[in-house]
Amino acid sequence: MFLSILALVGTRFFYLQIIKGSELKELREQNINAFEYIYPKRGRILSRDGVVLAEDRKIFSLATDLDQKPSEVSIEILSNLFPKKIKLEDLKEKVSNSLTYRRSEVILEKITQEDLAKYLVRGSELRGFSVIEGYEREYNDHPSIFHVLGHMGYINSTDVRYFSPRIDNYDAKLWRKVGKSGIERVYENELQGQHGKKYFQRNARGDRRVTTDISPFQEGKELYISIDFQAQKLAYELMDERKGSVVVIDLNDFSIPVAISTPSISANDLRDISSAQYQDLLNDSSRPLFNRAFMGLYPPASTIKPLLTVFALNNGYTDWNETIFDDGFFRFEEEERVFNAWREGGHGLTDLRKALVESSNPFFMNLSVKYEKDLFVEFLKSSSFGSKLCEDCYPHQFSPLIDDSWKYKNFGKELYKGDFINLGVGQGYMLTTPLHLSLISGILAKKGNYQLPFMVTKKNNSLTLAENLTEDDWSKLNESLIDVIYSPNGTGYRINAGDLMLAGKSGTAQVVDINSREEYDEVRGNELLRDHAIFIGYAPHDNPRYSIAVIVENGESGGRVAGPIAKKVLEELLDDI
Amino acid sequence: MIFNLRNTIILFSLVTIILMGSLTIYSVTSIDVNYFLRFLLINIIVILAVALLFNQINLNRILSFGWILFMGNILLVLSVEIFGNEINGSKRWLDFGFLSLQPSEFMKITFALFVIQYLRFYSFQFTRFRTLFLLTILFLSALPIIVQPDLGTGLVYILMGLMFLFICGVNRIYFIGMAIFAVMLSPIIYSFGLTTYQKGRIISWFSSDQDLSEKWNILQSEISIGSGGLAGEGFLNSKQNEFNFLPEADTDFIFSIYAEQFGFLGVLILLIMLACFIGLTTLLSMTEKRLTSDLSPYYIGTYCTLVIGFSFLLNILMVSGMIPVVGLPLPFFTKGGSSLLCFSIMLGLIFTSRGFLR
Repeated sequence: MFLSILALVGTRFFYLQIIKGSELKELREQNINAFEYIYPKRGRILSRDGVVLAEDRKIFSLATDLDQKPSEVSIEILSNLFPKKIKLEDLKEKVSNSLTYRRSEVILEKITQEDLAKYLVRGSELRGFSVIEGYEREYNDHPSIFHVLGHMGYINSTDVRYFSPRIDNYDAKLWRKVGKSGIERVYENELQGQHGKKYFQRNARGDRRVTTDISPFQEGKELYISIDFQAQKLAYELMDERKGSVVVIDLNDFSIPVAISTPSISANDLRDISSAQYQDLLNDSSRPLFNRAFMGLYPPASTIKPLLTVFALNNGYTDWNETIFDDGFFRFEEEERVFNAWREGGHGLTDLRKALVESSNPFFMNLSVKYEKDLFVEFLKSSSFGSKLCEDCYPHQFSPLIDDSWKYKNFGKELYKGDFINLGVGQGYMLTTPLHLSLISGILAKKGNYQLPFMVTKKNNSLTLAENLTEDDWSKLNESLIDVIYSPNGTGYRINAGDLMLAGKSGTAQVVDINSREEYDEVRGNELLRDHAIFIGYAPHDNPRYSIAVIVENGESGGRVAGPIAKKVLEELLDDI
Repeated sequence: MIFNLRNTIILFSLVTIILMGSLTIYSVTSIDVNYFLRFLLINIIVILAVALLFNQINLNRILSFGWILFMGNILLVLSVEIFGNEINGSKRWLDFGFLSLQPSEFMKITFALFVIQYLRFYSFQFTRFRTLFLLTILFLSALPIIVQPDLGTGLVYILMGLMFLFICGVNRIYFIGMAIFAVMLSPIIYSFGLTTYQKGRIISWFSSDQDLSEKWNILQSEISIGSGGLAGEGFLNSKQNEFNFLPEADTDFIFSIYAEQFGFLGVLILLIMLACFIGLTTLLSMTEKRLTSDLSPYYIGTYCTLVIGFSFLLNILMVSGMIPVVGLPLPFFTKGGSSLLCFSIMLGLIFTSRGFLR
């Protein structure tokens, strides 16, 4: 019996040491050898006029020390030292997490000078804790830049899905903050730099470590974005607490020097708030966290008329000589419906130019019944409806492409003729983002040759639209848009554009479906039901440099409210040249 | 002492085992030569002292104190409940200042002495009453050890006691009966008789869940053993020990550290030494049995030899993950006064009983 057990033992050891020997040895190396990441400074973000918008600032935090196990006594002392900031149970949980996962747990983030002094006095008694260096993102405090820059937050599964498969070293990002929106998110990989690794050997309790090797880190890239901080700031202040958005596109390269959404908050405020305050911001009816510039969908109203003029001329639905008599109504015979125009009594005898300058709805409604569905959808598509406009803009919403499948999805029917009457004056199903409106204005300024806008990385993607239009057509369109601003009949005459050489088109988008002036006066009492004021334009009109779109929610008059904002922002931008 | 080939081999293998044990305990506990020398010296001095002392005292005189020693030992075990130090949730140790002892370790010896004294009175003739009486004493005296709780020592005590009764000639029928009874009783004992800590140890041995800390201990032990490979990592080169991954490396799991340092060859050499020692000592007792009319030295000697042999093997089976972890010391390796003293006394008894040193 003794000998048989002896043989059994021998066999067992032969199995463990000879057959599984190398496998078990590998496990032993995994036991002992470990590494931790060294995180570099995140890259700065600067505006095109050289203002620092975001940078990493060094901070000190109190954390558990992996080299020493905190004793019961030191845990007690620490919780008594900062009775308001540290709860004993939380501290104990963090210490046990730290021991279980072998990572340094932050006890007090961003420790103040006062607290640091308090800690250092008792430092020798507080075994197992240490003050560690780290970085914190510090933003330019002005709220105008929050939506463009975005914010940072701890990584979650949604982020992993977003970054996958582009994510560099997923492990290194665990328990870290990553860009959650805006430039911070889109350029996460560039900004974060390349982390280093510190290899070390450690024992089972984690209280003795020997560093064996260090791989160096690389600091994050510095990023210049196309935002012009002075103009951005001015645009935000001109909005004067009203809800809305201003987007400007530089027509030299189609970069975006201004993109604001109001109201907004300071990015630093968002970093420091509690979850309850964050919830309040999310529930705020003015939606300060919502980026209207890239996400807000508004009916373009009359501001779509110049683009549809291009469509109509391109397909020969009209020319500059055709006239109709505008009596303030449009009668749609097929469905026996009557559409009211905004001006009582109408504009009288109207040609295309007058229709643009004075914004005649009946003229464009008259045109829209001639539109062929396929050509219309095709034209919208080539004006970038239904596609992503800007790779650097996050989050980003594209203006929906109104076609049969869209209507099926939303209403279960296909598009019919009557729909085009509303679409033809930028109402009904037609929705655009402020960014897209600004781009549409750019398309008009650049006579149909345009590129997709960007903030950091330019993509070579020249797009062309409406190749049938002659040079004469384009200059007549340009002249009409100049008359909108400078002719006394023009809807934008009150802007008093002076020598800015502005061309543009105003619009007033209905928030509720109404049929008469009287009905509107009734709903006016409720500010939230007032019409949105919209203005698109470009300057200087002889050699366009900037295109702009301004939306003031519930601002009522595109010409009187949105137009002057556009004028001042463009003046600021053109002054620089 | 007669230095014939057999005796030389016995001595050589014994010295090798003790030397290996001392070297391993030195490599585990500290890199301090003094400690190593002290451990080695204590080992040798205690063994020689006990052997010489017992050689001078007539074995018969020791045996006549059998029942007193046994009762005294039981009292000591019970007193641990009152005066003992608590380690790992169980009270096992008595602190004498210079030395802390685990009285339950000595039960193996004193029980044997008591049985011999009892049986010698009846000229080693068994009746049903005597057998049942001895078995009852064995099980009852194991109770205070098990409730400490120290299941491992208690079970080993019962196993060794039964082995001794078997050596002394108790009828096999009793053992077969007890085996059947134990198998039938085991589910009930598991449900009601064990503490959570003990259940955890048993569960960890059967389950494949690596998260259980006991399973982790065994895994770390197997990692140590496996890392040794064929020739070992070399003396003082146990990384599992250096980085504290092996729990209780200086007591129950010391053999894993030995295996990591000296490899499969080292293990093989040690097993051969063990086989030589146990085998030849038993062989020696066979001749002794024929030469003497009093059987008590033969019983005691054989018993002590087998206790050392089985303790060795059970510990190795435990650290290599073949039986549950139950806290068994490895003779001449494990750090700790009780087991050192206990096994030294057994060696002394072996030498005395065999006339080996005469």
